[in-house]
Amino acid sequence: MAWFSFAMVLIMFLIVLLRYGFSLGWIAMQESVLYLHAYLFMLGCSYALKHDEHVRVDVFYRRFSKAKKAFVNLVGHLVLLWPVAIFILFVSFDYVAVSWQIKEQSQEAGGLPFVYLLKSLIPLMCILLLIQSLSEICKSLNALFNKGNA
Amino acid sequence: GQEQQTSNATTNTVEQQQSFKWKLVTSWPKNYPGLGTAPERFAENVEAMSNGRLKIKVYGAGELVPGFEVFDTVSSGTAEMGHSAAYYWKGKIPAAQFFTAIPFGMNAQEVNGWLHHGGGMELWKELYEPYNLIPAAGGNTGVQMAGWFKKEVNSVEDLKGLKMRIPGLGGEVLEKLGGVPLSLTGGEIFTALQTGAIDATEWVGPYNDLAFGLNKAAEFYYYSGWHEPGANLEFLINKEAYASLPSDLQAIVTSAMRTANQDMLDEYTARNNTALDQLKNKHNVKLRKFSPEVMQALKAATMEVISEQARNDEAVAKVWRSYSEFLQQVKAYHQISEMEYYSNR
Amino acid sequence: MEYMAILLFICVCVVLLIGFPVAFSLAGTALIFAGIGSLFGIFDGAFLHALPNRLFGIVTNSTLIAVPLFVFMGVMLEKSKVAENLLDAIAVVMGKRKAGMGIAVTLVGMLLAASTGIVGATVVTMGLLALPTMLKRGYSEQYSCGIITATGTLGQIIPPSIALVLLGDVLSSSYQQAQLNMGIFSPENVSVGDLFAGAVIPGIILVGLYILYSVFVAVFKPEQVPALLDEDIEHIKKRKQVSLFVALVPPLMLIFIVLGSILFGIATPTEAAGVGAFGAIVLAVWQKQFNLSNLNAVMQSTTKVTAMVFMILIGASLFSLVFRGFGGEELIAEMFEALPGGLFGAMLVVMLVMFLLGFILDFIEITFVVVPIVAPILLMMGADPIWLGIMIAVNLQTSFLTPPFGFALFYLRGVAPKSVLTSQIYKGVIPFIIIQLILLALMAAYPSLVTWLPSQLYA
Ligand code: NA
Ligand code: NA
Repeated sequence: MAWFSFAMVLIMFLIVLLRYGFSLGWIAMQESVLYLHAYLFMLGCSYALKHDEHVRVDVFYRRFSKAKKAFVNLVGHLVLLWPVAIFILFVSFDYVAVSWQIKEQSQEAGGLPFVYLLKSLIPLMCILLLIQSLSEICKSLNALFNKGNA
Repeated sequence: GQEQQTSNATTNTVEQQQSFKWKLVTSWPKNYPGLGTAPERFAENVEAMSNGRLKIKVYGAGELVPGFEVFDTVSSGTAEMGHSAAYYWKGKIPAAQFFTAIPFGMNAQEVNGWLHHGGGMELWKELYEPYNLIPAAGGNTGVQMAGWFKKEVNSVEDLKGLKMRIPGLGGEVLEKLGGVPLSLTGGEIFTALQTGAIDATEWVGPYNDLAFGLNKAAEFYYYSGWHEPGANLEFLINKEAYASLPSDLQAIVTSAMRTANQDMLDEYTARNNTALDQLKNKHNVKLRKFSPEVMQALKAATMEVISEQARNDEAVAKVWRSYSEFLQQVKAYHQISEMEYYSNR
Repeated sequence: MEYMAILLFICVCVVLLIGFPVAFSLAGTALIFAGIGSLFGIFDGAFLHALPNRLFGIVTNSTLIAVPLFVFMGVMLEKSKVAENLLDAIAVVMGKRKAGMGIAVTLVGMLLAASTGIVGATVVTMGLLALPTMLKRGYSEQYSCGIITATGTLGQIIPPSIALVLLGDVLSSSYQQAQLNMGIFSPENVSVGDLFAGAVIPGIILVGLYILYSVFVAVFKPEQVPALLDEDIEHIKKRKQVSLFVALVPPLMLIFIVLGSILFGIATPTEAAGVGAFGAIVLAVWQKQFNLSNLNAVMQSTTKVTAMVFMILIGASLFSLVFRGFGGEELIAEMFEALPGGLFGAMLVVMLVMFLLGFILDFIEITFVVVPIVAPILLMMGADPIWLGIMIAVNLQTSFLTPPFGFALFYLRGVAPKSVLTSQIYKGVIPFIIIQLILLALMAAYPSLVTWLPSQLYA
């Protein structure tokens, strides 16, 4: 997935080269950058969660003990992340299903005929977030549990 | 309203008391001249005619949902109504774009004839049926302008690589000739043209183009709007929402839409000429006409695009058959009526 | 119903302070409020059902494609050792004057900022290379840390900058909304390019003020900023790889291609970012730093940063949807109208609030959460959009410097020697925070500092 960023750079450069150098251009090529970009950040969300890269306001969090941090994360995942991910998953289901049913195409002339793949990113992001969140919850429980043993 | 209520004997009183609050989402900036004021006036009309029993709140593009999400939003019932243009949905229904405008096709007067008395409306309804939607004509801009260009277009060669905002079939035609068509929503156009993301754009006509200040981002203003000889806009109604209305409110909605449809054309007819005058004389816009060579190439490409699409999609073929039959008939008469009259007055 | 909007805002603030990631805190709290509101019939559920449509709008937003491209460019540039070469080459020239190292740091910071400008990377590089030399020769801890941290944040305000891309995207829709609310359909749009152009002069003034401050210290407290000795210069020369000329080529080339093409309207910011990122790859190849492990590191950090930014955008969009659903926007507008002093009063309050929020939040959150709420109102009161954008950008740049939670401070703390006290870093940035405030005051008094260049370029 990280390779998408590299591909974006190369295709974008090619687009500029063709546009300003040769007066050539294809919508499909531009949309492919858009697709790569969308896949990069929508799928990257769970990856960033895994590496704890989502910004926190760590005024107090920084000074919390391991157990306290684990507790914050446990509650946060269950009360904040889960409802959001499940809700989006739920409300986007029909939206994406219809798009698959009709194999929705780009509204641009010469665009990519895979709008349903783009729309699928919305539930896909939620599912990946939920899976990663489950693993984070386990980590938190583990941290809380081990503290009791120590 | 009193007389109407008493005469409507079949409707029971409980239903009459029931009031409704609807949402109408649009693809235009809120209150945008013409395109955006039409749904606004429609909503006012409905509220007045129904004595406040049906209140419709109009949302501009991006307020509730982005402009290109109108179809899905009404289809799912999140909003009960929408106001947009059918050619934005060609990624879902290729035949939809035939209900906005066809390059070198019918003008506003003729399209309205085809839709309401020539079988067009039935085909349109059939097309939207699977999506839980009822379409209706939602106004017409009249013959548009060909658009704003940063550089002059003197030959077909100049269209090659040209990045232009031009949705629908017009875009397909441009692509045939080597251009790069895009379909941005109205609100995105000026910035795209100014920053160089696009080299040219069509929008509507002098009245709307002046409102967006497109003259500040490109020098050359071309006519005529070969690609949109009158863009027919659309109202969308969610089928269940419509069915939930008592029959008098249904009739009010239907006739208010029909009024809005005519009213928009009236507004453009009244405003376009003064706006063009301002663009020419106050803003020193350079008015240009496409050469016959360019026009011919566009027309040839149009026929190619349409026959290709008709081959690939049964619905397109069906709509095109009805459309082109009506066009041939109406053309024969308009040749000796409208056209003859224009050239003599 | 409006009290729900206020309650939502207060709750979000409290939840944020607990320390769970911002994106999910915003979205989660808003969703809970919307749920309660629907239950009691004071919230229209359609607002939430419109969520997939709005998310798809974010997925297909083409302005923001510039973000990962600029991140890629910045991180790749960091790997290609441009900063190291520049710093050493300029230090050799400037080092033997009083405060010379400080000024060298500022100049390098400016050049890096104009080629891309990732705050963390700049601060870390300077902290590793310049700080030890400065401390060894007897520069005061306060001054050294202050100048390095402040210089590192220049990348935020000097274009091209990711902060300005995000701000430009938010402001352009705010401006549209403001004008339409006022019944104005004509034109003055504001784009990312406008903001880039508007930031050039304030950025240069800021660099000038930093240098002026260094000169001031050199004159009045020379003991804090001694000149380097010949042996120091020799030491730098030993590790120095290239001449001043060769060191200057890469940043100047990138500035010329990326910034030049945007400012002169040749290419869009996204196109320029793509070319810049490609240029950074070419430089890395040239410096023999382009290998699989570096590329992997660049791609991974691009992915993480981009995902982080967009997750906040998604969370913030859910939050503002619910905030608006409860009538929060009207409420804020009424509050502003009740303020005395018109635009000036409103602007003062907004700037103050943003400055204070900057102590706990950084520019991404403020840009996505606060700006969409206040900007349309300020614009309707007559604020110039480019001026407003740059005022906000400079204000938010300060948030990187404000103790105790400025990001730039963390980065420096991470690489500074143990002997440097955290309190010395905090004290060191105070003069620079004051300089930021002076710049804000200057721009408030003379808006043409911001608006003149865009008006010349895009006339
Ligand atoms: Na048009
Ligand atoms: Na920068």
